[in-house]
Amino acid sequence: MTTGAVLAAGACAIILSLIGAFRGPRCWLLALLASSLTALAAAGWVLATGNAWEWRSAFLIGGESVHLRLDGVSALFLALLAVVGGAGAAYSREYWAERAHPVSAQASRGWWSGLVLCFGLVLLCSNGLHFLIAWELFTVCAYFLIILDGQRRDVRAAGWLYLAASHAGTLALFAFFSLLAARTGSWDLGPMREHAELAPFFWLALFGFGVKAGIFPLHIWLPSAHANAPSHVSAILSGVAIKMGIYGIVRFSGWLPTPPSAGWVVVALGVVSAVLGVAFALGQHDLKRLLAYHSVENIGIILIGVGFAIVATAHGQAAWGALALAGGLLHVWNHGLFKALLFLGAGSVLHATGTREMSRLGGLWRAMPWTASLFALGAVAISGLPPLNGFVSEWLVYLGMFDALNQPGAAVVGAIPAIVLLAMTGALALACFVKVCGVVFLGAPRSPAAERAHECGPWMRGPMLMLAAGCVAIGLAPFVFWPALHTAVGAWRGTWTDVPAPESLTMLGLVHMALAVAAVIGAAWLWRRAHRGSLARALTWDCGYAAPSARMQYTAGSFAGIITEWFAWILQPERHEHRPEATFPRRADFEEHTPETVLERVIEPCARLVMWVSGVARRLQHGRTHAYILYLIFGLVAVAAMTMAWSE
Amino acid sequence: MNDLLNLLIGLAMGLNLVALGTSRLPSLIRVAALQGMMLGIMPLVIEHEWRVMVLVIAVATVIMKGIVIPALLHRAMRTANIDRDLNPLIGFLPSLLLGAAGMIGAVVLASWLPLLPEHRESLLVAGSLASVFTGLLLLIGRSKAISQVCGYLILENGIYLFGLLLIHSTPLLVEGGILLDLTVAVFVTGIIVDRIQRAFDSLDTRRLTVLRE
Repeated sequence: MTTGAVLAAGACAIILSLIGAFRGPRCWLLALLASSLTALAAAGWVLATGNAWEWRSAFLIGGESVHLRLDGVSALFLALLAVVGGAGAAYSREYWAERAHPVSAQASRGWWSGLVLCFGLVLLCSNGLHFLIAWELFTVCAYFLIILDGQRRDVRAAGWLYLAASHAGTLALFAFFSLLAARTGSWDLGPMREHAELAPFFWLALFGFGVKAGIFPLHIWLPSAHANAPSHVSAILSGVAIKMGIYGIVRFSGWLPTPPSAGWVVVALGVVSAVLGVAFALGQHDLKRLLAYHSVENIGIILIGVGFAIVATAHGQAAWGALALAGGLLHVWNHGLFKALLFLGAGSVLHATGTREMSRLGGLWRAMPWTASLFALGAVAISGLPPLNGFVSEWLVYLGMFDALNQPGAAVVGAIPAIVLLAMTGALALACFVKVCGVVFLGAPRSPAAERAHECGPWMRGPMLMLAAGCVAIGLAPFVFWPALHTAVGAWRGTWTDVPAPESLTMLGLVHMALAVAAVIGAAWLWRRAHRGSLARALTWDCGYAAPSARMQYTAGSFAGIITEWFAWILQPERHEHRPEATFPRRADFEEHTPETVLERVIEPCARLVMWVSGVARRLQHGRTHAYILYLIFGLVAVAAMTMAWSE
Repeated sequence: MNDLLNLLIGLAMGLNLVALGTSRLPSLIRVAALQGMMLGIMPLVIEHEWRVMVLVIAVATVIMKGIVIPALLHRAMRTANIDRDLNPLIGFLPSLLLGAAGMIGAVVLASWLPLLPEHRESLLVAGSLASVFTGLLLLIGRSKAISQVCGYLILENGIYLFGLLLIHSTPLLVEGGILLDLTVAVFVTGIIVDRIQRAFDSLDTRRLTVLRE
């Protein structure tokens, strides 16, 4: 009952913020933060106590009574929503300020409140019809947030692509929920694992939610939308919106029976997304596009955990299934935290320099020490390095997979390549973030814009600090968060309630704390040495040249050149080069661009084929009414002939 | 009684051929009017006892199809200053041949259809199919708007004939409603013909292609 009251207060606050969005930024932010806090409290309560909350209305909407439910799974996602929603809102106060964006600042506030509200509804609704309505509304709110800066053509194109891809996914969801309602006789959702005939519908759900989650071949909308949206919007898109897809997959793989091969398919999709996501990220020169591809990678890691949990269900193995799922779910939180942090950091860079192009940045740590260090912290976390949170969740997934190795049978065959490829993903992610931090923050500025960079203000720094604190907290004290994961796992599969916390988790926390203390001491010692004045400063890139310039630094492309070469088969990079020739070469240049391979090489040719067929069909519409009547006759005769054939 | 009905329908089928063969618009209008009047008196032939409603409908049909609609069309023709359909899409001889073939096809199709025993003897179905085909042929083959309206009228006559099959189960009020629709349609078409003439300086509907998207 208390949960219900707190949630009602949160709902009131978010509706107030929706109204406040048109009054002024201050009351909007206040109401939004209040709703975030209440939602966080409700979710935290459910996760801590394990008492799910359920409510059915007496009134009907669309002929169905409203059925809300906050159990472990939805509470986990609601907590993430509260944190990222609040942080992004506070960040936008300065980043998308009234003064710089007089037209779209108000729209930004309004749609943001709407988006957060719709996310909450998606998480709470336990009725297929209302779920679809909330899902569609959130898609639309997110679309209007993406095109806030709609004067630019590429922003509009990105928004359109997002909308089109989302609707393709929603179409599958419409089919999914309608079939479900037709089979069960009710739109009401809930555990129905005993209906074995519902299993094939899982594929529809996987496609529909997979588009939103950005699983590898379905990720086409994700890079451009994340790159072109304002950074606080990118943060919530990457932190929460794509997690809604994961929520759908987790929710319905828990409630519905799954086909026997579903677990392995999800694992395979996860592995492909993880490896290729990071490969594409390495090929990017645009800071935010690179981060967007890392979302694909992290979605892959989450899916590996979820997939192994589904496999474990099929094998009846609670122990390692629960570990893998807990790892995947913790990675939902972790990715939400550090990816939001990274996007906000990228937003600060964009705000300070006006460009996302990494080859125009460089040397920013001098001007923006806060942004640089917070971004670096996020980079360490996303690369899965100890002592931060990325390591903890990947550790849990690894633990689950290692335990799966002890089982006889198919699990071993699948687990070994998954482990190897996940490890490879981690290494590649580290390489990628070394590249980002090195090119953007270290070295010398590559353009005048980078030279004039300035540190962001407190409203932008605060949310980043808060998200970074979250990353550190989960990294240093993972055992504190285990009960929440335990509740979520129990809500996913009712029989998995007595899974003990892995013993290594406490140990891991202690090691992390020791590492963190050592790192702080080391940093303090270095700081003191550097500031005692005994160090001489010299140029970094002084390889025997008399007059080194900023252009002689490694570029983003050259840094990752070797690795992108390994993946050239899928990245299909486009290169234009004029090699230096003769003794005194006149000019030489080299340009490399990684296309959106899936979009440009697969989807677009298919779309062109459809357009061609439509163009041919359009010749039938020439305006001659006589011929139209002829078509009518042909149609009538065809229908008559069909009826005749049918009746015989 | 069936003989009288079949005679009327046979005459209407003959009028179809006349409509297909003529290039003069006044005679086309006259043919459509005559056919409409014949159809108008058919309920009186079919019904055994004359109720007031049947009588009213019959009289109204004859007045509308025989007098009002032709008058409207004549007026449209005069304002458009036109009395011949000179270059049709399908020539007069080919359309005549097609019409004859259609009539034979209609008779064959009607004998082949699973009809009720009491309809087997009458030409109702064959005549209705033939009229519908003739109307469509006129709509497709003629270039002037007024001849197309006549085609539309003949098409509607065919549908009306088919409707007579159900005269015992369809309220005649429905027929009355259809009649009213038809009159309004022709009335509107009369206005449109005038507008087309003014805008395009011709009644050739082929010129309307410029209006497409």
